[in-house]
Amino acid sequence: MKKQNKLFIILFLAPSIFVFVVTFLYPIVRTSLMSLFDVSSISDPVSKWSFSGLNNYIELFRSELFCQSLVNLGKIWLYGGIITMTFALLYAVILNSGIRGKKFWRSVIYLPNIISSVALANMWLQYVYNGQYGLFKKVFSALHIEFLARINWTDVNVLFTSMLIAYCFGCIGYFMLIVLAGIERIPTDIYESATLDGATAWDKFWKITFPLIRNVFRTCIMLWTVTSVNFFVWARMFSRDTSPRTVTPVVYMYDLVFGLSSGGISERSVGRGTAVGVLMTLIVLVVSLLLNKFFKEKEFEY
Amino acid sequence: MKKKKRSRIHFSKIPSYFMLILWLAFLVATVGWILLASLSTTAEIFKGQVMHSGFHFENYVKVWVNNNVSRYFLNSLVTTLTACTAVILIAAPAAYVLGRKHFRGRMTLSNTFLVSMSVPAVMIVIPIFSVCAKLGLIGNIWTLVILYIAVNVPYTVYFLTCFFSTVPGSLEEAAMIDGCTPPKAFWKIILPMAQPGIITVTIFNFMSIWNEYFMALIFANSSDNTRTLSVGLQNMINAMKYSGDWAGLFAAVIIVFLPTFILYLFLSNRIIAGVTGGAVKG
Repeated sequence: MKKQNKLFIILFLAPSIFVFVVTFLYPIVRTSLMSLFDVSSISDPVSKWSFSGLNNYIELFRSELFCQSLVNLGKIWLYGGIITMTFALLYAVILNSGIRGKKFWRSVIYLPNIISSVALANMWLQYVYNGQYGLFKKVFSALHIEFLARINWTDVNVLFTSMLIAYCFGCIGYFMLIVLAGIERIPTDIYESATLDGATAWDKFWKITFPLIRNVFRTCIMLWTVTSVNFFVWARMFSRDTSPRTVTPVVYMYDLVFGLSSGGISERSVGRGTAVGVLMTLIVLVVSLLLNKFFKEKEFEY
Repeated sequence: MKKKKRSRIHFSKIPSYFMLILWLAFLVATVGWILLASLSTTAEIFKGQVMHSGFHFENYVKVWVNNNVSRYFLNSLVTTLTACTAVILIAAPAAYVLGRKHFRGRMTLSNTFLVSMSVPAVMIVIPIFSVCAKLGLIGNIWTLVILYIAVNVPYTVYFLTCFFSTVPGSLEEAAMIDGCTPPKAFWKIILPMAQPGIITVTIFNFMSIWNEYFMALIFANSSDNTRTLSVGLQNMINAMKYSGDWAGLFAAVIIVFLPTFILYLFLSNRIIAGVTGGAVKG
């Protein structure tokens, strides 16, 4: 009977473990190895690789475009993170404040997340940001906010900001749901006793809600890091050619390895492409270690 | 006194409603205008008089027929549906074992699946691409299906593990007493019980696979026969910018937008439950 049970467990786990080994474990090991070799074509067999130590990494940091892509990634992570988290928190608090039609508003805020990024990016680019018939142009002109109406949102100098605004708009709903789930878990009697003690809504937010959802923020920062590191579609939508304004590490890697888009990089190097992958994974790893360190001490039980 | 207090509370909610209405108004204005623009002519769009000469459904016909959108649509549908089904068949048994059985290495395995959710795609695509290239599988929607299955298994296992651990255990015990083998008890009794969870996670997977772009661009962008909607749309939009067919461009955007939007209209609560990982209520 016990043996049968064991066989059953193995049988049920086998397909998932197989998938994990083939599409995660093997590629992770191979990518890490490849990043230490000079590999020029993606279909090269192992015998054609030549060991080059950390050369790929050194070359990457020598490339101005790659360094720029890291700067852009940092800006997306920091500025985008602040914008997204602020609005996510704001909308979560609004939804939890006893608003009428909570479910309806919740679906409205989440709606942009179900739209394909390609469609959403084009909605912004071809309509909202358009200089002739665009929504921003019309609304800001009608409100006589001249300095905003005058901005050409698709101009190369503003392009990064425009991209970041559009991207954050598409992310807010997701993070709002996570924050909201965290707020909803806080027992209402804490608020009730605070109200009896004469606390205002403002006090209640900063003294109860905010400290109690600390761990939710940890989850959010982690998820935000993973999505930022994968930043690709929006950069491709906002500039067709790889430009220093919008380049991100994944765009850089795509050019380096698959190289179908014009501009940016002319040479191909699969080895360096894999080094980009390793660096991105390291970023995620370091952030998660830091989060573990800083968020561990205070655990609340309620 | 009492009346004054009530009006104050009501008054304090105005900024909240303002923020919510602002968001809604922006969405309605954007999507609404694009819908109207997709039914107008390009000249009308630039004159700022959308829908001036009535409905122009020919934009849709043109995009659907001339630009191969019907093919992209079919590709997306086949890839998404196959991948969604296969993900459940692979992930559900594993999730059941992880959620219900106690054995050595159970936590390690659960954590492994959890960690693999945060591995960036750049870390895994290159070796997978070279293997597929060796096997002659590039430019094939089935390669894409396999990848989508692989990428979505970890989250599905994680989601369903939580779900299976909440299904009451007395049922399978009863089934065992009646002489059911563990696998039989799983397929006949537990899996049907877990249906709400499976549906929720499948809708969630459907959305993410339908909208996926990065892998589709790398693995299935060589010909119109394999392109999915997101990649096809982008190619089409680039072409239309040159041909100046803005009405067609907006029609294409609406075609990509509609399927997930319609699903969302009917299933928004389920979809939201799939995000937060909670059980579905009413």
